[in-house]
Order: sequence, then C-alpha cells, then structure tokens
Amino acid sequence: MSATPEPGLAVSVTGLAAGYGGPPVLREVDFGVRAGESVCVLGPNGGGKTTLFRALLGELAPTTGRVRVSGRPAYVAQTERTRLDFPVTALDVALMGSLAHGRWWLPPRRPERAAAAAALERVGLTDASREPFGTLSGGQRQRALLARALVQAAPVLLLDEPLSGVDPASAREIGRVFDELRDEGRALLVSSHDVESARAFDLVLCLNGRQIAFGPPARALDRATLEATYGSEMIVLEGGPGGVRAVTVQHHEHGHGHEGHGHH
Amino acid sequence: MDLLDPVIDPFRSGIDQRALLEVALIGVLCGALGFWVVSERLTYGAESLAHGLLPGFVLAALAGAPLLLGAAGGALVAAVLVALAARDERIGPDTGTAVAVTGLVGLGALLALAPDSPQRLEELLFGDLLGVTDGDLLAAALLLACGGAALVALHRPLCAVAFDPAGAAAAGVRPALVRLVLLALLAVAIAVAVQGLGALLVLAVLVAPPVAVRGHASTPARAMAAGAAVAALAGLAGIELSFHAGSAAGASVALALCGAAALGAAFRRSPGSVRRAGR
Amino acid sequence: MPSPADLVDLPFLREALLELVLLGLAGGSLGAWIVLRRLAFFTHAAGSATFPGLVVADASGFSPLLASLAVALGYAGGVERAGRAGREPGEATALLLVAALAGGVILASDVFESGGAVDRLLFGTILGLDGVDLLASAAAAALAGIGTLALGRTWSALAFDPDGTRALGVPTGAADLILLALVAVAVVAAIPAVGVLLVTALFVLPAATARVLARGIGPLIAAALVLALVQGVAGLYLAYWLDLPPGPPVAVLGAIAYAAATTVRGAR
Repeated sequence: MSATPEPGLAVSVTGLAAGYGGPPVLREVDFGVRAGESVCVLGPNGGGKTTLFRALLGELAPTTGRVRVSGRPAYVAQTERTRLDFPVTALDVALMGSLAHGRWWLPPRRPERAAAAAALERVGLTDASREPFGTLSGGQRQRALLARALVQAAPVLLLDEPLSGVDPASAREIGRVFDELRDEGRALLVSSHDVESARAFDLVLCLNGRQIAFGPPARALDRATLEATYGSEMIVLEGGPGGVRAVTVQHHEHGHGHEGHGHH
Repeated sequence: MDLLDPVIDPFRSGIDQRALLEVALIGVLCGALGFWVVSERLTYGAESLAHGLLPGFVLAALAGAPLLLGAAGGALVAAVLVALAARDERIGPDTGTAVAVTGLVGLGALLALAPDSPQRLEELLFGDLLGVTDGDLLAAALLLACGGAALVALHRPLCAVAFDPAGAAAAGVRPALVRLVLLALLAVAIAVAVQGLGALLVLAVLVAPPVAVRGHASTPARAMAAGAAVAALAGLAGIELSFHAGSAAGASVALALCGAAALGAAFRRSPGSVRRAGR
Repeated sequence: MPSPADLVDLPFLREALLELVLLGLAGGSLGAWIVLRRLAFFTHAAGSATFPGLVVADASGFSPLLASLAVALGYAGGVERAGRAGREPGEATALLLVAALAGGVILASDVFESGGAVDRLLFGTILGLDGVDLLASAAAAALAGIGTLALGRTWSALAFDPDGTRALGVPTGAADLILLALVAVAVVAAIPAVGVLLVTALFVLPAATARVLARGIGPLIAAALVLALVQGVAGLYLAYWLDLPPGPPVAVLGAIAYAAATTVRGAR
C-alpha cells in the first residue's frame, strides 16, 4: 500500500474497489492528490467515505485497483463515547503521535515531549494541556486528536468529519491549522457532510458507492453531481453567489450497510 | 459373569445410589437450563454467582443451618453485589465483577479457615456428592419439577427473546422480565447444585452440556433435551470413575462433563449443516 | 493481638513481609494496566490454570515455579493469538478452568494424596516462602516497573484508541503479548503467597480502587502502588494474627477499599 506513488502525487488511487467480504461497497475510485493540496470528501452515510479512508490507511485491502500513499497517513477520527473517561490528558494524547516514529518499546524522550507541547500550541490547547481528555469540549478533543496527528508529522492526513459538532472557536483554530499544513506541503483529505464548506478546499471528491466526481469545487459541485451523491438527502437552493447552493439532510443512523464498521 | 457388573457395582451401596440420583436430577434440569445460560451469554454471570455465594454457604455450614439456605442467600447477596460493582463504568463490568467475586471468595475462605471452625471448605468448594442427604435429594427433585415447569412455560417467550428481541417486544413479550425470571431460575439451580458439585465446579453442569450438543441439535427444544441427557450420562460416567478409580466424586463428575463438552465440540458438524437444519 | 513489629522481628515473617512488599509493587504497577486494558479475567484465569501443574510439581519435586510459568505463559500466548485479550470469557475458557480445578483436586486428594496442599495452593501461605519465591517476586516487581516506564505510553495509547494506535504503526500484537506475558510472570510469582484463586486480590483490586480515585495515569499508578502495599502488609498482619493464609484477608481488605472509594467518589 505504501509504495511510492507517481512523482508529485502524495496520494494516488487507481481503479479502486473495496468491500468487507461481499460485493464491493465502493467502486470505480480514481484520483490523485499532490503535496500541499486539500480534498474534501463528500458523500452520504454508507457512501464509502470511511471505506476509502480505511483503504488509504492500509487497513482494508482493495478488491481491485491500487492505492499508493506517501508514508504512513495520520488519521484523525471522531471522538467516541468510550474514550471520554480514559484518564489521559491532552498532552498525553498528543504524545501518542510520537509512537509513529518507531520506538514504541521505549519511554518518550525529551524531543518527543517538546514536539507534543509544540503541537498543542499550534492547535491552541496549551492552557488545557494538563486537563483530562474527557473534561474537554468536543472541539478541544478534536484539536487534541489533531495535535496527535501533527506530532506524527505524516505527509498525508486523513480527517473524518473533524468539524462536526465542534464549536466555532475550535472550528476556526482547526481551519487555521489546515491552511498551515497545506503551506507545509502536506496533503489533506477531509470527509464532511457540509457541502458549502467544501468550496473552500482545493478539490472535492464525491462518493456514493462509487466516485461521482473529482475536481475543483467550482467545476465539480454542480447540481447533477450533488443529486447523484446525495439523492433525496439534499435540498438544493438555486441562485446565490456560487450558482447552486445545497444543504444536506443529515441522517443520524449510523451503520447503513457496511459503513458503520468500527468507526461509529 | 454379567458384563454389566462393573457398571452396577457402585450402586449396590446406598451412598452411590443417592449420588447418582442427585446428579441425575440436577443434571437433567441444569443440562436443559444451560442452553439458555449459554445462548443468553450468562456464562460469566453464572460463574460469578457460583463463586460469590461462598460466604453464605460457609456461614450456613458454620452455623449448622441447612446448606441450601446458605447457598441461596449467598447467591442473592452475590447477585446484588456483582450487579452494583458491574455498574462502575470507570473500570467496566468485567473488572467490577472480578472485584466483587474476589472479595466474596476471600471472605468465604476467611470464614472457613479461621482456626476454630470445622474444616469443611473443600466440600463446599468441590462438592460433597457422597454425603448427599434426603433433604438434598428432595430439593433436587423440587428443582427439577418446578424448574422444569418454568422452562416449559417460558419456552416460547425465551425463544422469541433470544432470536428476535425487538420482534418479541413488539409481540408483547417483555425481554427484561423474561431475562429476570431466567436469572432467578439460574440462581436457584446453582444454589441446589452446589451441594453436590461445589462452588468451584458447579458451572460445568450448566455450561458443558450445551457446549457438547452445540451444532448437533437443530432446535432449542432438542438442544435442551440432548443437554439434559448428556448431563445425566456424564454424571453416571463421573460416578463410575469415582468408584473405580477412587477419585473425588464431584470432581470426577465435573471432569466427565468437561470431557463430554470436548467430545461434542470435536465431532461438531460444520456450521453450514446446522443452518440448513433450520430453527 | 500480636505486635506489628513481629513482621520485621521474626525471621519467617520477615520473608513473608518482603514477599508481599515486592508483590505489592508488581501488583500496583501492572494492576493499573490490567484495569485499563480490561485484563481482570485473564489474570484470574492465568492463576487458576496453573493449579493442576502445581499439584504435580509439588508432589514430584519438579520446580513449581517452572511448571506454573510454563502454563501461565502458554495461556498468555494462546489468548493473544486468539485475539481474546480484554474480552469477556467464552464457554471454552470457563470449562477449561473448571477442568483445571477438578483435575487438580483429584490429583491432590486421590493420586498424590497431598490433600493438605490444596488449601495452600488455593489461598497461599505465610510459612515456607523460600528464596526462589522471593527472587521470582523481585523479578516480577522489576519487570513490572521497567514495563511501565518503557511501554506505558504504548499501553495507554492502545487502551485509549486501539484503532488509532494501530494506524500509527505500532505492532499492537507484540505490545499486547508483552503485557500479557508480564502479567503471567507476576501471577506466577504471587501464587505461593496468595494462592491460585486470589491473585486478583493484589493485581486487580488495588488498581480498581485507584481508578476510582485518580484522574490521570500517573496518579493512578501511584495510588495503586500505595493501596497494594498497604493491603498486602495489612493482610499479612491479619493472616499472622488470625492464623490464616494471606490470600483471603488481602482480598477482603481490597474489596473493602474499593467499596469505600466508590461510596466516597460515587459510583458512575
């Protein structure tokens, strides 16, 4: 999975189909991401966003096609209920990112601790660094997980709905960090339910069991694409500055088809 | 010479006759009940009740009171304490259960081993099959009668709850109530069965028969009947072993039950054939 | 009531005291990981599984330490291979443990006629703890300390977020196996003092109480250490005073401590 992709591409996916034992839940995925680019991955629950991320992480072997990623991607998942009362601080969580550098059987060294503190500062959590993870707000928890990914210092970052349920202040911090990461030359893939926010990204990828569209948002987010992606889960409002505006209707039942695997 | 002599020999004495009768009565009920214990994932819970009743059991032995009362009271206390400890989300239900059971077993051992108490701890832990009294037999017979009636009466609700809880609830069956009755029956069965098999080994008579017949029986009713039969046969085998090899009776029965489970698992048909056989 | 100073003054009690202090150190540090990784049942099962081997070793003069170590480590390997660490036990494990206990008691009472050994093996002893036991406990304590320092970050990452930690590239199987093996070694070291049935008294109960009281992993380990040491020494004193094996009083003290902590902190 982690063979070096074509020069210039941090992520390269060709002809990907993947599933969980039965027929593939995601087919015909073909795209490439360069260093420093950000991609918003859009799609309904069960549409294949999580499946794609698992394939990119190497957790899921493709049924057909090929996935190539620069290095080992950092993964920022949504915070789940069960981890809330685990007795770690935000600093502990950030420090876990250093495990990616290979010496998991040794205690953390001073440079690693410094990197964790620096990452917390980047996401604006220095004041809360010694607080138990469970007492942090949703946005702060998300930022702590982002700090962990920063310490990992991976060339590619995968983020699963990082802004859902997050307060505006945290959302701003997170957005600012995204811009910094792109300037540093990292590639970002961010899955989201918010179609309008996707316009701020360099590229969008629309998935609904298969790849519907991939490209710059101005070109890719037309009415036909949105309807094919979201079907009846979307309300389209004509007019407005960008042409078509869309609001998605969120279903909170997780576990549609196989999408519920492990992450909800 | 009658070939069956070695088999019949144990039962020339009253002691082994009663041991066999006790094992048969308990085995039949527990072998059938065990099907629900396993399918409702109550194995760990059953083990906690069996170990946790030890202090009550010991107190009854020390006070000269009927052991059945001590076991039943102990099981009740254990159920409450385990339920309380298991609610602690910080450590999780498994750890909570372990805390409660360890404390109770420690307390039971402490009471039993305090120097001025009669040394009966091994009988309480490993069973006293050869010391079965008429009272024990009566209790076992009552258990079989009432417990068996309960299982028959509850059969359709239990099946409904096990295979489709949501549908069962929609049809008017109350899963929580059914489960509660099952737990109560389990506690009573354990309290009766520990007289013969002991707190540490009684789990075998509940869990080994369903494991032995798993994959061989196509419906719950058949699995329960087969389980009852396996338990009774294993009980017989255990007593034979105990008589001829001179080994402890309760432990021999427990080993025979575990052996039956291993045999049943080893000769299990592939899962596909069971699915085709239907419910 | 005998003087607590006896624990230090009398030679045979000195050894028992040292044993329980060392086991308290192991139990407090490893106990934190046992509770965080949900390994309480594994700890209990590893202890019980060694029972028949110990009966045989006891009677035949083979080293009980080696016999129980082989069984406990083998069990740890099996559990890790089956991916069942931290999960609720299945029927097969439950029956295996019953068979181990039944087999052991038959071997003890009827084959080797060492029935008197059963209580000692099940619940521990103050007397007869020899240099080998002390060495094993010292090794267990040392390994527990080293493990906590070196692998604490990894183990807590695995408990906090197994999928995420695997995504970081940590070989979770190896990290788990090391923890299970260390627990197995510590359980084996504890058996002579507290017995096969009550190893959880030192390895789970203090840490469970600590988990209720402490809010970070460092404080949790510190609290677990203190509780395990106090429980072990106080339990030893009670065992000496009341002429009991140490296992039961240590267990009862541990349960009382947990109950007290939950009452004060509130069950949640």
